[in-house]
Amino acid sequence: MIQASARRMTTPADLQAWRDRLVAGRSDGARRVRVCIGTGCAAKGSRKLYELFVQAAGQADAHVEAVTCVGCHGFCERGPIVVVEPGNILYQRVEEPDVPEIFRETVIGGRLVERLLYEDPGTGDKAATAEDIPFYKAQKRIVLEHNGRIDPTSIDEYIAADGYAALAKALTTMTPEETLEQVERSGLRGRGGGGFSTARKWRSCRRAPGEPKYVICNGDEGDPGAFMDRSIMEGNPHLVLEGMVIGAYAIGSSQGYIYVRNEYPLAVEHLRGAIDAARAAGLLGDNILQTGFAFDVRINRGGGAFVCGESTALMASLEGRPGEPRAKYVHTVESGLHGKPTNLNNAETWANVPAIVNHGGDWFASTGTEGSKGTKVFSLVGQVVNTGLVEVPMGITLRRIVEEIGGGVKEGGTFKAVQTGGPSGGCIPAEHLDTRVDFDELTRLGSMMGSGGMIVMDQDTCMVNVARYFLNFLREESCGKCTPCREGLAQMLHILDRITHSQGRRGDVEKLDQLAALLEGTALCALGKTAANPVLSTIRYFRDEYDAHIVDGRCPAKECRGMFRYEIDPEACKACGICLKACPVGAITGEKKVPHVIDQDTCTLCGTCLDKCPFSAVLKV
Amino acid sequence: MPEDTTIRDDLIESIVARYDGEKGMLIPMMQDIQAELGYLPADPLRHLARRLDLPLSRLYAVATFYASFRLAPKGLHEVTLCVGTVCYLKGAGEIAEKICQEFQVAPGGTTPDGLFSYQPVNCVGACALAPVMIVDGEYHDGVTVEGAMTLLAALPSEEAGQDEQEAPT
Amino acid sequence: MPTVTIDDIPVDVPEGATILDAAHKAGIWIPTLCYHPAVAPQATCRLCMVELDRGDWTQLVTACNYPVRRDITVSVSSANAVAARRGVMALILARAPDNEQLQALARRMGVDTTPWPTVSVAQRDCILCGLCTAVCDEVLGKAAIGFAGRGMERAVTPPFRQASEDCIACGACAAVCPVGTIRIRYHDDSDEIEISPFKARAKLQICRACGARIVSVPAVAEALKGIDVDWDKIRQLAQVCPKCRRRQAASELAGALGGGAQNRTSDRFPSSC
Repeated sequence: MIQASARRMTTPADLQAWRDRLVAGRSDGARRVRVCIGTGCAAKGSRKLYELFVQAAGQADAHVEAVTCVGCHGFCERGPIVVVEPGNILYQRVEEPDVPEIFRETVIGGRLVERLLYEDPGTGDKAATAEDIPFYKAQKRIVLEHNGRIDPTSIDEYIAADGYAALAKALTTMTPEETLEQVERSGLRGRGGGGFSTARKWRSCRRAPGEPKYVICNGDEGDPGAFMDRSIMEGNPHLVLEGMVIGAYAIGSSQGYIYVRNEYPLAVEHLRGAIDAARAAGLLGDNILQTGFAFDVRINRGGGAFVCGESTALMASLEGRPGEPRAKYVHTVESGLHGKPTNLNNAETWANVPAIVNHGGDWFASTGTEGSKGTKVFSLVGQVVNTGLVEVPMGITLRRIVEEIGGGVKEGGTFKAVQTGGPSGGCIPAEHLDTRVDFDELTRLGSMMGSGGMIVMDQDTCMVNVARYFLNFLREESCGKCTPCREGLAQMLHILDRITHSQGRRGDVEKLDQLAALLEGTALCALGKTAANPVLSTIRYFRDEYDAHIVDGRCPAKECRGMFRYEIDPEACKACGICLKACPVGAITGEKKVPHVIDQDTCTLCGTCLDKCPFSAVLKV
Repeated sequence: MPEDTTIRDDLIESIVARYDGEKGMLIPMMQDIQAELGYLPADPLRHLARRLDLPLSRLYAVATFYASFRLAPKGLHEVTLCVGTVCYLKGAGEIAEKICQEFQVAPGGTTPDGLFSYQPVNCVGACALAPVMIVDGEYHDGVTVEGAMTLLAALPSEEAGQDEQEAPT
Repeated sequence: MPTVTIDDIPVDVPEGATILDAAHKAGIWIPTLCYHPAVAPQATCRLCMVELDRGDWTQLVTACNYPVRRDITVSVSSANAVAARRGVMALILARAPDNEQLQALARRMGVDTTPWPTVSVAQRDCILCGLCTAVCDEVLGKAAIGFAGRGMERAVTPPFRQASEDCIACGACAAVCPVGTIRIRYHDDSDEIEISPFKARAKLQICRACGARIVSVPAVAEALKGIDVDWDKIRQLAQVCPKCRRRQAASELAGALGGGAQNRTSDRFPSSC
């Protein structure tokens, strides 16, 4: 599937000429089929769909210009996604039997297959193209612009879509300082979670004494619920590469690393192919575009450790060591990988750079808020109707994201909270839905932007258990080097285990606060320092749930086993006797035609009756 | 088994050469060894330590720090269960518990009969498909406790046409 | 030389020295567990927290590895710093509440007991300070033991939890262990020394004259490795009187410094010696 350009580019003119040829080779209105093979769609068998479409196109009399694999559109829940041109018709949840119909009706005949179009759950309206789908309408796709449009394994498609124009512009018409200045004017802040000024970081690295300098792409994306970087690296790997070359140019580095977490094999594959193709095309390696500037990249896979998303731990991993963070009293831009000046940025951060060079820093800064410029890719997941990746301008409200783009809470549930920032972040309740999303606003609310995960929770989610979940996650992922994180997390988890198992005691919340403060002040790295955020934010906004657990022994969301009751709804009960027979302790009594009853004293709260009842007559109370 | 040792020695040498003997590439080297042998046996690690002039304790530290490394042979099948936030909220926790219980396998370990190796991971980036279970590279979405048990119970216990590790005489 | 004002006492330290160095110079005690002058600072126990003045805010930092590069003001006795150190000590104590060395250190810090239950399993009170692994690696160059596992599973162990082939049973790890986890055992029946709990054993070098135990045989061998003895030179020197030895050494030194032998008076042996 990997096609490198047939020739090596030696000048920007070469690049432009190649681009023009590629574009000229396409006819407007030509028939094309794009099949998404991102991890989400591939998991549902989209590769087979691709093969079937290729077959169909091969056998057809009419000319089909191309059937291509494309990367993640972001709307993973509706996968597999197939887009047909002309018209940009988007079909969702496509299955193998649908292929002949789509091909016959739409590809050849230009007609719509209604049942495969997106249907708004509220209004029932059908949307023919992506632009008509509410999920995509409110989005502003700069980073994800070509995701779902180009074949990520084809450098030609990237070039045809103006790929590498920014590289040519920076390397041949701008100085490193001028390039840095554009990034400065853009106001770009790190997209991995730290939100640090990208230009400041580049400048510090540029100024730091020492050779060689390294640039690193952090593709470790460990926050559960976040898959932005996966989609970018899978769906448009050249975008990341281009950003890195430009950054290396501005900083004065000739060696880069892309660190991809082990759980993203497709991203590794696509990045490898992109690097090979870029080298062959003369856009990577020695003497890029005859400018004398050399830069090359290698890929390292993670070994399975969330903590390696932390920059010093990542660098330790690149040095062949366990991923243990170190003190940052001397910053990594001064002394990082192998003790040399190192600039590390998140994959999404790098992906923003080409657009900034192409259109200018001022253009970039015209989107967003005062403190947070540009767009951000979020992964909107959980109990929301439309789950997937959304790219929106900074400053959009949480409400618009959840309701307009996300389509609101699914299955008629009530919005309870949205968790942002992963295990370092916090839960934001309904009262703050009108907050404008930006770095500082989210931090003010006790959460943080983090890498962009947005997990929507409904009324059935126990917020105390959410805190416990994140603590458990961090406890497993903690490197264990420093006392406060290793021991402190274990102590906090111990308390939350008690609270969620009917053993909470008065004073537990105060103990959690005490430990949280200790971790924040004394932990060695950001993992430990921010570990208490999920606990603190749930205490801040859902204190009543903590109190119910501790004082009343009750879980209001009815999630914590043993902390809510089961009762049989006499109206719904059909007296079928299934629950009576299934109950392991014989707590249910009843006869034919008489609604059954659970004896609360005998009941062990195992939940079997609820599982077995065919009439949903067993309620959690 | 002398034959095996020579094969493994050659393997280590070729892997070291692949990365120009660079110490910083230790993790990719160990990943390649595991990809080839299915796990990280002690002797190849000793050999690698000598070749790279690194203390064995460093290789052991790396092998035990990163979740993807195995120090014991893996099962016939590889089962990965995502227990990331979204999958967890949709019941992955119960599935994880049931797997350990039913099949007597610890996270990161292998079932007593060697049928499958089980690794829970914290998010595979396919959150729209939650809960996600990956069996031998194949993704299964929307998995339930029952569905998971059925899937795993149906795993074939013999590999058709798989070579057995017999030392040629 | 930058000045560190530590609890109002100004001390000058070389650039790159640590706050802990400054504290020593000022005579101020800061508790430590994972620090030892023989190895590079690890800053993992987090016991030596002090409060650094940053102008409009303050930052808690570890004294043992914070590099002084300009004039700074540090507080060891501020409420924040004291609370941080005590909080960390309480967590450490919870790991091994009956350990006498930890109890003594805690008392000195003003911590009587720990409010926390024991939730972690400490192998013979090991607090994972890492001094043993650091000494074995940096000082002995053996790295016979190291950390394995992650988080709560983190433990100090030889590779594959079997006696290490690299251990020379020198006992340095036992010497630096602050809580007595590592112990040296002697096996009279086999004249062996054992480093417990790392399972390493070695024959003991016994004094030929009185039969006392000296040190392990591999440790002797290791020490001898580094000694380079030029026996020819020693034989030559033995045939020469002290005065001539001095003269010989001086001319060698001058030669090394570029003085040139031609400017010297003869350095041949005077016939009268």
